[in-house]
Amino acid sequence: MTPRHCATGPRAARSLTAVAALACAFAAGSAAAQDDLITRDRVGPADAPNAMTFRLTAYDLYSSDPATRAAYEALFTDFILANPGWRIDTEIATDAIGQEQARMLEQALAGRGPDCAMIDSSTLGLFKSQGVLAPMTDHFTSEQVADLFPYVRDAVTDENGELLAWWWFTGLMVLYRDTRLVPDAPETWDELKTAALATVEAGREGFLFNGGRWEGTAFDWLPSFWALGGELVDAEGRPIFGEGENRDKFVAAVEYYADLVASGASPARVTSIVNYDEFNAAAAAGTSALFIGGDWQIGQLRNTLAPEDAAAWAVSEIPGPTADARATGTGGWTIAALSDDPEKVRMCAAMIQAVYNGPSNEVSRLLPTTNALFELDVFDAPEFDLYRQALANGVARPGVPVYPEISNQIQIMLGDVLSGAVPVEEAVDRAFAASLEAYERL
Amino acid sequence: MRQDRTGQGGSAWPWLAPALMMLGVFYLVPVLDVLRLAFTDATLLRGSSGATLRTITETWSDERLPLILRNTGVYVAGAVAGLTLTGLGVALLLVRAERRGLWLAGPLRVIVLTAWIVPGVANGILWQMILSEAPFGALNSALGMAGVAPVRWLSDPQMAMVSVLIATLWQGTAFAMIVLYAARARIDPTLYEAAEMDGAGPVMRFLHITLPQMRAALVVNAILLTIQTLNGFDIIIALTGGGPGQATEVLSLNIYNRVFVSFDLAGGAALALLLLVVAMVLTLLWLRSLRRDAA
Repeated sequence: MTPRHCATGPRAARSLTAVAALACAFAAGSAAAQDDLITRDRVGPADAPNAMTFRLTAYDLYSSDPATRAAYEALFTDFILANPGWRIDTEIATDAIGQEQARMLEQALAGRGPDCAMIDSSTLGLFKSQGVLAPMTDHFTSEQVADLFPYVRDAVTDENGELLAWWWFTGLMVLYRDTRLVPDAPETWDELKTAALATVEAGREGFLFNGGRWEGTAFDWLPSFWALGGELVDAEGRPIFGEGENRDKFVAAVEYYADLVASGASPARVTSIVNYDEFNAAAAAGTSALFIGGDWQIGQLRNTLAPEDAAAWAVSEIPGPTADARATGTGGWTIAALSDDPEKVRMCAAMIQAVYNGPSNEVSRLLPTTNALFELDVFDAPEFDLYRQALANGVARPGVPVYPEISNQIQIMLGDVLSGAVPVEEAVDRAFAASLEAYERL
Repeated sequence: MRQDRTGQGGSAWPWLAPALMMLGVFYLVPVLDVLRLAFTDATLLRGSSGATLRTITETWSDERLPLILRNTGVYVAGAVAGLTLTGLGVALLLVRAERRGLWLAGPLRVIVLTAWIVPGVANGILWQMILSEAPFGALNSALGMAGVAPVRWLSDPQMAMVSVLIATLWQGTAFAMIVLYAARARIDPTLYEAAEMDGAGPVMRFLHITLPQMRAALVVNAILLTIQTLNGFDIIIALTGGGPGQATEVLSLNIYNRVFVSFDLAGGAALALLLLVVAMVLTLLWLRSLRRDAA
């Protein structure tokens, strides 16, 4: 790549031209070398004697957003230059999170997994239970671990206190509203329904949420169940959501969603929504005024909408059955080492410390998992105060092997109920029976 | 030692061995492994604890299996019938356009083949955008301009299957067209000339010359389409994910979900076995109909 300012002018003195040409050649060489350090499948020199494979999502180093990509390239370049003799062989994970993680677990169990990998927080428990994660305790200070939010610390450590992964960013679900139509944040289910019906009268679609066949559907709905005090599994990881009081709460939470669609407060099309981008598109088209979305979407709305429209959108906690019974789902990504080689484990931990734990949160404005990192200047905005507060009501999805099947059954159940194909109680009982069967099999 | 056709001595086995090895390693071994797994209780998280018939009996008697099989039947029947009709229609149109020297033949062939080149997942995403039920969804907006009420393309369980079939037809027509175009082009033109001289109209010529002459190609086409649609779920997973609920979940997608979502390796293998049986039975039925006609 040739820097643009290196074109030589026809009137330049010959000697100056020669010097300039040399300087440009050097600069171009440096730029090329810099470019060559990061390719689609590698970070670092191709002939480095040591290599660590790293499976990552396509949202940071390989982001489609040029600014994000450039920021991560700078972070990775600094890191690899500080670790001479190493290269990172990168593998990009697909968007099909559940299947991708299942395949990676299978590879790890067969000894063919990556040395270091991003693991979705909802499947971390599965990897822990299979004993494929290498402890990284020696590479993090006890202060760092102690500063993690409690639900995060519980998830990334084992019963012996060994640190098996680093949860580098968290996320939570919140209610987005267009304050021009919904000035006050709905706090209860009833208030949300009333507000949604008002937006429908104003020509909007009503309250939107994911209802199709993907993880987001379970993730959006589960806060309603958790807000009632429901529990999906017991301490042994056995599904209990279809038994006793839990069943009543589960049924009530499904009926709440069913009523939203039946009353017209939510459109029937929610059963075909399988992407949070749908909500951004609806907001941009001016067809929606209420939706459940992730904390990261506020930035996307600000980048997408006209400033006056973006300013009208606000976030608040997900409404609960009562104003003081609230819950939200927390997610995010962890990074863990899956190698037996101590040097690769060290390298994986060093990369987390240098690139992801802090610098990455700063670049992407992704919510950190420690109190200390929340003090960074980029998180000094009103919505981050809300997120920090809401995280107190945060519930992580259970890290048990049967969770993916429970999620799958919730997706099927909601699709059946919201499309009117199956009555609520029958759908709940079917989902529970299938989850229990999967638990016994696993 | 046996004599070959040229009268020279030698065995055929050395010549056949590479092909047999390839078939064995890449086709037979995986099938045998599926057969073995179906009689175990293996999951993706742990190996088998021994041989058992329980997986087969429990999986094949799953209360949701009839729905999955019904979806599969509707999808395969709809896709095979639809693709045969659209493929035949385009093939006949192309032959006619070429005979008349119309310039339209070239672009038509390119358009149909372009759809075939698009990967199934991309096709699913493309149709997801077209069929979006959002107020700004492409097809519903177009229908709205014509005064037609919005259609619940993807959220209504019945319409979702229709949408899946539309996306499948759009992509698969080219395949059927190629097979049937080749068959149509091989029909002796003198047959049509003779029929015309006898006063047969276009419909009579189609029914009594074109269709009988293309019968073998139609059956082969039907066999290939049956196998393709039984095994394929890339369009479905991208377009509906099998939903709403399980309204568009076909057997192949159910197998995929069992293995990679439920981690049920043995259950997936048991259903894969069922899929193999269904594919073989349907293929044999098609072949039998061909032989009966030939007789």
